[in-house]
Amino acid sequence: MANNYVNDEVLVSTQWVAEHLNDPKVRIIESNEDRAIYTQGHIPGAVELDWQVDLQDQTRRDYIDRASFEKLVGSRGIDNNTTVVIYGDKNNWWACYAFWVFKLFGHADCRIMNGGRKRWQLDGREWSSDRVDYPLTSYTAQEQDGSIRSFREQVLKHQQSGKSLVDVRSPEEYCGDRRHMPEYPDEGALRGGHIPGAVNVPWSMAVNDDGTFKSARELTQLYQKTIRLKRHSPIVAYCRIGERSSLTWFVLTYLLGFSKVKNYDGSWLEWGNCVGVPIVKGTSPNGQTAEIPQIAAPI
Amino acid sequence: MSVARERLALIVSEFTDLDSREKLELLLDFSNNLAVLPPEHALLASRSEHRVHECQTPVYLQIELDANQKVHLFADIAPEAPTVKGFVAILAGAFDGCSCDEILGMQSNLLEQMGLADVLGILRSRGLRAIQEYIKREIVRAIEKQTLTKERAMRENA
Repeated sequence: MANNYVNDEVLVSTQWVAEHLNDPKVRIIESNEDRAIYTQGHIPGAVELDWQVDLQDQTRRDYIDRASFEKLVGSRGIDNNTTVVIYGDKNNWWACYAFWVFKLFGHADCRIMNGGRKRWQLDGREWSSDRVDYPLTSYTAQEQDGSIRSFREQVLKHQQSGKSLVDVRSPEEYCGDRRHMPEYPDEGALRGGHIPGAVNVPWSMAVNDDGTFKSARELTQLYQKTIRLKRHSPIVAYCRIGERSSLTWFVLTYLLGFSKVKNYDGSWLEWGNCVGVPIVKGTSPNGQTAEIPQIAAPI
Repeated sequence: MSVARERLALIVSEFTDLDSREKLELLLDFSNNLAVLPPEHALLASRSEHRVHECQTPVYLQIELDANQKVHLFADIAPEAPTVKGFVAILAGAFDGCSCDEILGMQSNLLEQMGLADVLGILRSRGLRAIQEYIKREIVRAIEKQTLTKERAMRENA
């Protein structure tokens, strides 16, 4: 059934997944906040990719490098032509995070299962706790795609030239009242607030209670009519560590067809700790501006 | 060897030699065995006071000291967080009925000993260690509270 998203094919239903469980061209991947959830029960035949242990470098604060990604993906029996379908808990946060990493390394055919674990459960579908192993494959990743990732120097230039920034954290984090998600731990940002000029569109505005994405009409209304983001203007999305903004990046890029959205994965845990970068507090994009000393080299 | 140390050493030996998947399966077994609190339990009535704020998922813990100053740990953790639930179940079982000093003197390297730190990653492991530290802080608070209550009773009886 057509949902009228710009790229309808990237979002698959639980029904589609159920019909492709034994399709050798399709690999289903689960990615969760809590690792043990996959062990407890997953979609039959699905492999796990963990955002912390598998996708992040364990020494540097960064994603794994190209060679490690090739090895990881090959170990899950995925080749360059595999259709990768990703799903998970928490409204597909980590699924979108993993999707973004697959795109970062140039994987062609990636999909998200709409509604993730929640929808699969609500649909009364089967879980399996079987161990899943596929024969090793040889995988060739591309160099990182710089068109979807933003580093802090680029974000600073982007901000200084007045381009669009979307802060997808909760309103409390945006206005600077708190430096972490409600009900989540403080992971150590020294300052609270947001990047000047950033509009606050919490990620959760893009999803329904059952974990699925809002309709094309609702998303267009929100991002293009209310927030007035332009489909072909450069946009940077950020949150606290880049996972919630992966979801917004996915919505803008794939469901609404925006062409120049980047995820700033350093996000607030970098920006809120940087010396000399501009920060404002308050509920408006340019809020109550804190005094920023003029320095020759900002970063 | 103290009781808690002995119990934990036994659990650590269960985890040793398991692969990552088996470690998570064993952790899930512990998670499934965390005692369900009776509805009249005080923890369920005043949850916000017992929230572990260092932890990513909603975790509610309560320390009780009995008349012999022995520790009892009660917990209420959502099923969506089986890792946390499993770890707390291990601590609750190991610490139950032990002396405060014994628990306060323990190191927080249990995850490394079980080989779980690498399986769970840096952020999750940090969250779990924070729970162990939270338990220690709550024990200190419970001792102070008990001492104050005793002093007040003595004054009133004087």
